[in-house]
Amino acid sequence: MGRFVVRRLAGMVAVLFAVSVLTFLIFNVIPSSDPAQRMAGKNATPRLVANITEEWGFDESLPQQYLTMMEKIFSGEVISYEGREDVDERILEGVGPTFSLCIGAAVLWMFFGILFGYLSATRAGGLLDRVLTIVAVAGISMPVFLIGEVLLVYLTYKTGILPSGGYVELAESPLEWGEHLVLPWVTLAIVYVGIYSRVLRSNMLDAMNEDYVRTARAKGLSERRVMSRHVMRNSLVPIVTLFGLDFGALLGGAIVVEAIFSLNGIGEYAYISLINTDLPPIMAITLFGAFFVVLFNALVDIAYAYLDPRVKLGESAR
Amino acid sequence: MSGGAQALLSVRDLRVGFATEGGTVRAVDGVSFELAPGEVLAIVGESGSGKSVTAQTILGLTGSSNARIEGSVRLGETELLGAGEATLRGVRGDRVAMIFQDPMTSFNPVYRVGAQIVEAIRAHRGEVSKQEARQRAIELLDSVGIPDAGRRVDSYPHELSGGQRQRAMIAMALTLEPEVLIADEPTTALDVTVQAQILRLLGRLNRERGLATILITHDFGVVAEVADRVLVMHEGRIVERGSLDDVFYSPTDPYTRGLLDAIVRLDQAPPLRAARESENLLEVRDLVKHYPVRGGLLRRDSHSVRAVDGVGFDLRHGETLGLVGESGSGKSTLCRALLGLIEPTSGSVRFEGREIAGLSRRRMRPLRREMQMVFQDPYASLNPRRRAGQIVAEPLRLQGEARGGELRGRALELLGRVGLGPEHYDRFPHELSGGQRQRVGIARALALRPKLIVADEPVSALDVSIRAQILDLLAELQEDFGLTYLFVAHDIGVVRHVSDRIAVMHEGRIVEIGPADEVCERPRDAYTEELLAAVPVPDPRLARERHNVESE
Amino acid sequence: MYGGRTSLLIGFAAALLTTLLATVLGLLAGYFRGWTDAVISRALDVVWAFPVTLLAIALGLALAVGGLSIGPLHLSGSSLWIPILIIGTVYVPYMARPIRGEVLSLREKEFVEAAEAQGAGPLRVMFGELLPNLWSTIIVFFTLGVANSMLLEAMLSFLGVGVQAPETSWGTMVGSGFQLITSAPQLSLIPGAMILLTVLSVNVFGDGLRDALDPHSKLRLEVHAGMPEPEGTAV
Repeated sequence: MGRFVVRRLAGMVAVLFAVSVLTFLIFNVIPSSDPAQRMAGKNATPRLVANITEEWGFDESLPQQYLTMMEKIFSGEVISYEGREDVDERILEGVGPTFSLCIGAAVLWMFFGILFGYLSATRAGGLLDRVLTIVAVAGISMPVFLIGEVLLVYLTYKTGILPSGGYVELAESPLEWGEHLVLPWVTLAIVYVGIYSRVLRSNMLDAMNEDYVRTARAKGLSERRVMSRHVMRNSLVPIVTLFGLDFGALLGGAIVVEAIFSLNGIGEYAYISLINTDLPPIMAITLFGAFFVVLFNALVDIAYAYLDPRVKLGESAR
Repeated sequence: MSGGAQALLSVRDLRVGFATEGGTVRAVDGVSFELAPGEVLAIVGESGSGKSVTAQTILGLTGSSNARIEGSVRLGETELLGAGEATLRGVRGDRVAMIFQDPMTSFNPVYRVGAQIVEAIRAHRGEVSKQEARQRAIELLDSVGIPDAGRRVDSYPHELSGGQRQRAMIAMALTLEPEVLIADEPTTALDVTVQAQILRLLGRLNRERGLATILITHDFGVVAEVADRVLVMHEGRIVERGSLDDVFYSPTDPYTRGLLDAIVRLDQAPPLRAARESENLLEVRDLVKHYPVRGGLLRRDSHSVRAVDGVGFDLRHGETLGLVGESGSGKSTLCRALLGLIEPTSGSVRFEGREIAGLSRRRMRPLRREMQMVFQDPYASLNPRRRAGQIVAEPLRLQGEARGGELRGRALELLGRVGLGPEHYDRFPHELSGGQRQRVGIARALALRPKLIVADEPVSALDVSIRAQILDLLAELQEDFGLTYLFVAHDIGVVRHVSDRIAVMHEGRIVEIGPADEVCERPRDAYTEELLAAVPVPDPRLARERHNVESE
Repeated sequence: MYGGRTSLLIGFAAALLTTLLATVLGLLAGYFRGWTDAVISRALDVVWAFPVTLLAIALGLALAVGGLSIGPLHLSGSSLWIPILIIGTVYVPYMARPIRGEVLSLREKEFVEAAEAQGAGPLRVMFGELLPNLWSTIIVFFTLGVANSMLLEAMLSFLGVGVQAPETSWGTMVGSGFQLITSAPQLSLIPGAMILLTVLSVNVFGDGLRDALDPHSKLRLEVHAGMPEPEGTAV
């Protein structure tokens, strides 16, 4: 186990390093305009540009530039020139809304995804199955912003049932916290429900044809036990690993949903920074998100080895 | 069988049909038989005969939702066909238990073996506590011959060997002391020596516990070892039935007779082959292939798997050398190393005096015309997306021997040589039978007129009746083309039938090599003896003699 | 309606690019294994680690405004090639992984050995033996790719980093309409609905195709799950 952890950590660091290099390249090298200019934002004065150039070392060699950038990000000194605020602090503030959004949506989509998938599989070929499949495919096909908009229009603007956005701290008022998050949760969850229900359905149908299910029946187990202890147990493993990957990727902030519902999370911060072409926050957020992706990849591999005893630690779940 | 004994299980006019795109397939077409208490009834037939479906239908495990089942299956007083869930559940495991062919897939891979046995116990005897159930599981594992049962009970299925898994499966079936055991091809997936052990176990269970057993198999040798009565099935019907001796020595049905005649037997010495004095085609010395096993990032190789561990032999022009070995013996690795498909770790392979071990791919290329391979699995050895004709023509095209129209002509000729017609040229592999596919594989190997053909288990995956045909074909081709064969198999009976000399391989080494007759009748190595003893002979009298000798 | 053409064009072209790259990489990694596989897989890992949307947005931001200049290659910011390239490369790991997996298992089959025994070189084996057996997987992935690419393009354009003026797509229309959502929601909703309908049809078509080609393929749903939704697996 120890060996595995060491190996994964090394791998993670390597990947994050590569990610940071890639980010650096994307923002400072590929575009053809002056990085300092872009970084200073829209209201730049020549003086500001000169300051940035010196501070970030844009007049030095590329590797040096990279090192300078890394140093700044890690020491927490990144300041957004546009918003005049400390990027790292802002990111921390955004954690509350973003995590609330992700966790709530996750609960929602796992519950319904698994429920629908189970119903579909056990009544495969029947009317319910067909209906649920259509619902699932529709869910997968919807652009997220469309869902968000539709919900906003019909549940907020036209009828005023739910608030249109903004975030309320959980500690302040749980009720309002929930109220403000309902629409974002549903918006985010719809797509995933579609995916997860179909994956589960497929896995279950495969599992039901496996030899060990036949053995379980031959032993005289009740259909319920066969389903729960044999079919489900094996079908849920890929779901768990998939969830780990999806959730990890989401923790970096769900840009569109947060933007539409003004949730002051990391995603919205990214959105605002994008609109304003404000680069320091974008770089920091990218690394922040990549970190979670890589972390959850590792967690997924560990979980997979635990859930499937045939897999030894160190083999990729993917 | 004493007259008047009440039949334990009674099957009457069973019919099972499956609705498919091409119409209804009658898998079982009017099958009736009885199982008496304490007897071993063997149902034997080739693939597609309906024997497995029959067995599964007894317990209502047919599985498919588009199956139409008619007839009657009575266990004592209870009618099983069409019975409700509760009735069937009560019977399954408790009064009638079933074990299946592949113990690897028949166990749930994520649960421990002991837990799965405990599950069976508590499903029927809810009042038994977990500890008691676990104790019982350990006892059962012990009683079927699993060593160190106290620890093995917590193993996962993939941590056990094939033989142990099947024993565990049997143990699980016995937990509730059923009256009937249905065994569906229980030894097909196992090595010969392991098979012998499992058959002995089944025999013992039958004698000691009076456990009535229905044994489904395609192997007449297995039948001769354990059965009391025999049913022969063909295309969904029972074509022959009777006591063991009756069926083997005086079969009335022509299909049965054909089947029995086709069986290639170990103790039948093949017709004498003309002695060949000739030069060596192939000389192998100290061939070694090790696979390093990594212990982890920070550890060096902890050990290696020694697939081939110092093999040496000669192969003469025109002879057939049979190579016998069980799974894990290294025979497959050896074949591939000889043909240059795998690079050997060390050692020498000389083909017609020239060293070929470790040659680069490019240098090897022209040599490929001289040596070819026939593979075991008729499914996997042909590209499913190519037609038969293309598959056969491919080597000619690769080596630049022919093009365009000429290619087709040569391919047709080759297909003809192996007994296929022009109508097979355009067929895809899934449109051909197993035997036909194997013929295509042989035609492909012949295309470049090689001198050496390595046949890796060429008939193992085929039905008994087809086997003989393919073996005959191979013999014929050897005559016509002057081929030299390295014939690899795990069935020493088959090997004896075709070989001049036999080499026995075990754990990467050749433990015995010599003329076929000598190796089979006067073996010198202990492993060879074990191997020979384990092969089930399709002759009930001989089998009984053997048992008597063993028990003395 | 003109915007629709753009959306479709980008969707197809991007998916084509992804499929091409993924197939080649998957074949190389799966067939050669060893070092080749290690290098390719690590590279895929890195791209995978980037939350999809963020990577796409970042690239969009970097390229859409200023255009791309590498040596002789000059693309203006408003060239449609930019979103195509971005979307096309971003999805490569999600397609290449499963393809590599399938190549790995196919590779062990005996007909591949047979080809090698006849003297076939790596190119021949990869394209003559393995590729024909991958077609159904590839086609399925392609249709999925089209659907997802269209969704990603829509989102990028919605945010302003996808298709740039003077071109438009449904996504940009939704984006500009969003400002007026309270007063005139249909400006935003209608192009959005068009996107939905188109993607839905592609998905349904893809499903049908999958069932027809390979009803028993286990790859089916893992395919769907593996490809990240532009919002999901997203940041």
